[in-house]
Amino acid sequence: MEDDYSEPDEVLEVGAFYQLLTAQLESAFGRRHPRWVRGEIAKVYEKGHVYLDLVDAGSASSDAKRPVLNAHCWATTWAPLKKKLATEGVTLSAGLIVNLFGYVDLYAPQGRIGFTITQIDVQGLLGDVARRRAELIARLSAEGLLEANKKVSISPVPLRVGLVASPGTEGYSDFTGQLLHSGYGFQIVLVKSAVQGEAAPAQIVTAIEVLDGHGVDIICVVRGGGSKGDLAAFDDERVARAIATCATPVFTGIGHTGDESIADLVAHTRAITPTKLGEEIAGIVEGWRARHVRLPAQRVLDATTAIVDEATEYVAERRRTMIFAVRDRLRAEQRHLASTRAGLLVHSRHLLTSSAQRLASHRALLGAYDPTRRLAQGWSIVTNRDGAVVRSLDDVTVGDVVSVRVSDGTFESTVDTKTGVAP
Amino acid sequence: MSTVGDWNEAASELDAIVASFDEGEVSVDELFVKLERATAIIESLEARLDATKAKVDELAPRLSRVLEGE
Repeated sequence: MEDDYSEPDEVLEVGAFYQLLTAQLESAFGRRHPRWVRGEIAKVYEKGHVYLDLVDAGSASSDAKRPVLNAHCWATTWAPLKKKLATEGVTLSAGLIVNLFGYVDLYAPQGRIGFTITQIDVQGLLGDVARRRAELIARLSAEGLLEANKKVSISPVPLRVGLVASPGTEGYSDFTGQLLHSGYGFQIVLVKSAVQGEAAPAQIVTAIEVLDGHGVDIICVVRGGGSKGDLAAFDDERVARAIATCATPVFTGIGHTGDESIADLVAHTRAITPTKLGEEIAGIVEGWRARHVRLPAQRVLDATTAIVDEATEYVAERRRTMIFAVRDRLRAEQRHLASTRAGLLVHSRHLLTSSAQRLASHRALLGAYDPTRRLAQGWSIVTNRDGAVVRSLDDVTVGDVVSVRVSDGTFESTVDTKTGVAP
Repeated sequence: MSTVGDWNEAASELDAIVASFDEGEVSVDELFVKLERATAIIESLEARLDATKAKVDELAPRLSRVLEGE
């Protein structure tokens, strides 16, 4: 093959070459010709300025030939952008797909083409954050990690409370205030941790792991309200996995009403605020006390009262019954005696009356047979010498002397004759 | 007079005496004996009840304090 070159008309020095190249690049992609570029963040480095390695989305990191764009955002531009992203809960991190607006520059000392960022598509970035969040939830769900910590049994009286929080924050004070003012003897084991910022996820994970080995009944992860950016640590996968795989039940009280982090999703129990979490834990203890102390006490008290009342009523009723029974019995006997007495009186009177009547009758009968009355009527009684009454002719013989009694005396008579009476 | 048994025994004996009155089985000669026995049982039960009430009155406030969450 024949070489196709000729003697150079113009040979440029390196610096001149870069000047020419820079001019060419600036005319096409320079400050006056900015462009949007989309890519996946492969690396992030921040130190005042922020530096990103941007690659094609989905490209394999093992591909040594994949194109890489070295982008950077100078501090004066980055500071307000970072603040805006933070309020939306977005932190630039590897894996995010971003649309960057900027221009090309050439850094001759290193021979590198760079991309100076002037804008970031926040809305697009938010969409990607949401996508990544949904993907993380799906992964955790597929691995059974959304339910894993919920299956960990909880002590019926969780008085030993491990706490992951930042002392001095409102959330910390709200939570501990609820426990301290509950009246129960909660023992709080605090492991301090940042609860926002880049260092927070790793510190939270460490705190959870420390407390998991500390023998506490539950671990509470607490953080007061804030922007989405402030709460971003609780959407971190490392935090989610630490909670999900923790052998101790993990309770969360993060943010305020409406916030739901991935940490909340994987937690054993979540409350909408640190205050509510404190209330809920105190409520668990209160519930146990109600079931196992107050209810039995109430039952014992009720049963005791019922037994005493029943016994009191029983004895009173028996006392009344005995009094009435004895009185009734005595009255019955009195009535019986009175009745008997009355019956005897009536019977006696009747007996006396009938006896008197019978006596009068006898007297009348006797009167009818009184010999004096007969003698007065002219009848007489004849007796022989022996005093026997002469009733028949056969009782005398002619010549007998008989005694004749009349009404006013007696005379003797001799039997001269006997003359019978025709029957 | 024999001693009064425990609460259930005493109550059973008292019930039997009351039942004998209800059924008219008590003669006048038995009346006093049964009344005397019933009175002894009732006094014994009342004494035990008063003692129990005193103990309950002492303990109930402590249980109430548990209920009131003190």
